[in-house]
Amino acid sequence: MARGHRIRLLPMPNDFQSITLSEPGEDEVSLLEIIDHVLNAGVVIHGSLVISLAGVDLVYVGVNVVLTSVETALRNLRSAEEKRGPQ
Amino acid sequence: MSRALAYCAYLHRPDVSLPETGVRSAPVQVIAERELRLLWSEVEWPFDPAHLQKNAVEFHGVVQCVLKQVAVVPFRLLSVFSDLKELTDFAAEHAGTFAADLERLKDFVQMESVVYPAPGRAPSQMNSGAEYLRERALMLRLIEQYAADLKERLRPLARDLRVRQTKSGSRLFVLVERGSEREFRALLEHAPVPDRLSRRISGPWPAAEFLSDSVKTPQVAGAK
Repeated sequence: MARGHRIRLLPMPNDFQSITLSEPGEDEVSLLEIIDHVLNAGVVIHGSLVISLAGVDLVYVGVNVVLTSVETALRNLRSAEEKRGPQ
Repeated sequence: MSRALAYCAYLHRPDVSLPETGVRSAPVQVIAERELRLLWSEVEWPFDPAHLQKNAVEFHGVVQCVLKQVAVVPFRLLSVFSDLKELTDFAAEHAGTFAADLERLKDFVQMESVVYPAPGRAPSQMNSGAEYLRERALMLRLIEQYAADLKERLRPLARDLRVRQTKSGSRLFVLVERGSEREFRALLEHAPVPDRLSRRISGPWPAAEFLSDSVKTPQVAGAK
């Protein structure tokens, strides 16, 4: 199976660091919230992806595995391991 | 190499105005399939990881522009199709299920609240493992109780409400009628936040948490 695309998660000074995208009078939306939503909410098309943090590959999501965020991927991996049981 | 990046789908209405450009300043284009409209751009693929955050903000901008006017089904940023034909085939195959969800959700948006330990109050610097576990259990109880309180307060406004436990707290997804976002915020802001917790409110978002499974994870042949 071919390796997927490599995504490096850039460190953020503050997880809830806000950027102003809103109309005046509305609340600010954090960059983290935007990234979480655009990567993690909505229609999933099967894909291929490597997610890495600080140069270390965290998750390899294969061609037939649902594209996902780090948190969801780790949850799915844990769940798959539990289903598989002890080796 | 270029790919077709899908942003979102919505039901046609002649008065909907669309953004001219999207991710990487690519022109935003429209596929029409019966009453369904699907927004997409031709983008260079793969993305340069250094631009991921900027791409995310631009993607978000396109989806929010449409969401302000009508209900949308958002795609995820890193989902791309090989070419326009593959995307057109996708739209033709799934127009019915997408339209049904959009019709069901047409008057609603998704609001969210996250409850998590206040900065510096997460149980991380304890003298012993037992102390850490006690502190963590206490924190989880506090978060659960507060999330339950918020859930109760939101009951009159929420058409649907789901709570998901995350590693660091609880996340409430609330389906509310379009136009009642301020009321949602007011209801939550009147709920005092316990001393050791923080709460964050966000929205409106597309009602992604309330999409049917067949829309969230459509079967696609050959998508990259």
